[in-house]
Amino acid sequence: MTGRARIVLWLGRRGLNEVLRVPGASIPGVLAPTIFLLGLTSMFGAAARLPGFTADDFATFIVPVGMLQGAAFSGAATGVNLARDIERGWFDRLLLVPAPRLTLLAGIVASAALRSLLPSSVVFAAGLLIGVPWPGLGATALAFALVMGLALGLACYATTLALAFRTQQAAPLMQMGGFVLVLFTPAFAPEDLLAGWMHAIATVNPVTYVLEGARQGFVGDVTWPRTWPALAALGGMLALLGSLAVRGMRRTGR
Amino acid sequence: MAAIETEGLERTFKGGLTAVAGVDLAVREGEVYGFLGPNGAGKTTTVRMLVTLLRPTGGRATVAGHDVAREPDAVRRRIGVALQEAALDPLMTGRELVELQATLHGISPARVRGRARELLERVDLLDAQDRRVGTYSGGMKRRLDLALALIHEPAVLFLDEPTTGLDPVSRMTLWDEVRRLKAAGTTVFLTTQYLEEADQLADRVGIIDGGRLVAEGTPAELKAEAGHARLDLTFAAGGDGPDLEAAAAALRPFGTPAPGTDGTHLRLALPGGAAEIAPIVRALDEAGVELRGLQVVQPTLDDVFVARTGHRLDPEEPRADAAAGPR
Repeated sequence: MTGRARIVLWLGRRGLNEVLRVPGASIPGVLAPTIFLLGLTSMFGAAARLPGFTADDFATFIVPVGMLQGAAFSGAATGVNLARDIERGWFDRLLLVPAPRLTLLAGIVASAALRSLLPSSVVFAAGLLIGVPWPGLGATALAFALVMGLALGLACYATTLALAFRTQQAAPLMQMGGFVLVLFTPAFAPEDLLAGWMHAIATVNPVTYVLEGARQGFVGDVTWPRTWPALAALGGMLALLGSLAVRGMRRTGR
Repeated sequence: MAAIETEGLERTFKGGLTAVAGVDLAVREGEVYGFLGPNGAGKTTTVRMLVTLLRPTGGRATVAGHDVAREPDAVRRRIGVALQEAALDPLMTGRELVELQATLHGISPARVRGRARELLERVDLLDAQDRRVGTYSGGMKRRLDLALALIHEPAVLFLDEPTTGLDPVSRMTLWDEVRRLKAAGTTVFLTTQYLEEADQLADRVGIIDGGRLVAEGTPAELKAEAGHARLDLTFAAGGDGPDLEAAAAALRPFGTPAPGTDGTHLRLALPGGAAEIAPIVRALDEAGVELRGLQVVQPTLDDVFVARTGHRLDPEEPRADAAAGPR
């Protein structure tokens, strides 16, 4: 293993400390999407009977949404934690080492991908418990991979804000980004049933394609025509948000 | 070659606040350089520029032979830094932090464990190495911070107010470590608000005020510049208090005495040194003034500070630019 890989591993491991050593800290990020899933299913479950609804039941339709919300929470938490590290001076310690800024950034955001597995697994398990059919191993793996990728992208977004504002007071902005991106998708109704303006936003929102990719297996089969747009959208988000975070790191690092 | 050299180093923050206004420094290799000044004088901003955390807005600086603006990574490889607040992750153990720091500095995995153990032993934290840092006392955190700064055996060590807030025992322990580092040939740039600390540890002292270096030299040189030793005289109080007028009259052949604040003291400069004490005591005796006590007071760095800046160095007194952010 190279020195840079060891740094990413160490910083990623450190990012998991909050989950592993302060279990209570991850409760909000786990509870919120789970409550969304259970609450919305019980309130709007009948929506699945609408003509044009593409799933047999509402819970199956929104389980992937809950999993992506878990990713959004994990991404935002990475930014909030970085802002706290900046306030406390820990971040200066990182900037004082000769390691490449890209390596430091990779270490900081890497933990988001792993952290996202906790809320998304709980949402997934809760879905299975309330009767959502097993989507198959391939679909499950794809869904979790997309969740981790989205968490990584949103961690880059939150990291950019943390580096720009250098305060935990920017936490609402960090949390809002992921929340809005997941909300303005066909999260709770198929695209064709969305109101005109919402449909227009969902069409250009890259998370729509990530969600549709993650929904495979839950709704319909896993197909390449629905998979590649998800991967492309995620790749584009990672490229854009990652480059913004790298720019922020380089500016802060000097 | 100077370990640290600056020419006209400046830093002006957004909004126009100039925290450092043209500092020229030359710190020799192996020297302990005390950088002294009150809160907000520009000490920390200067250090942050020298350690590459802040880009200078004017002038230039080299550390360990490398330009801080053009070769920051080369500077980072040669320096160790313990900043004002020991920024340590409370959720990590002491050993984890040292091992992480070693990894960040590119120390090979084969050496990480051994180096971590060696340093933790040196700062007397081996027994606490597997405890979370959040449970450490202030002194333990400072010692761990020092261990982290030394992990890669830096040529130049920056200690930014390392003993602020520490109890006397922890302070002495840190002083001993600084002396050990100096003996091993490490250049130490030590910022402090404590005159005694600079006096005890520093080979040379630079005094900064208002972002400018106002004095520089060895503690002895600076104190010699500040003037002569003085005699503090305390008189016994009679019915209406001591007769300071009679005492002052008796002292006049030796100089002009200055009254103390509580009405029982007089201070007199001693340009002739201790040899003047006996004649002074005789003169007071002959004038019938009862002397209760006397003390020879040597000039201090605080006197130097007053002479150069017009005000005293008070660690408790915050200054306007102390709250200025780092960027």
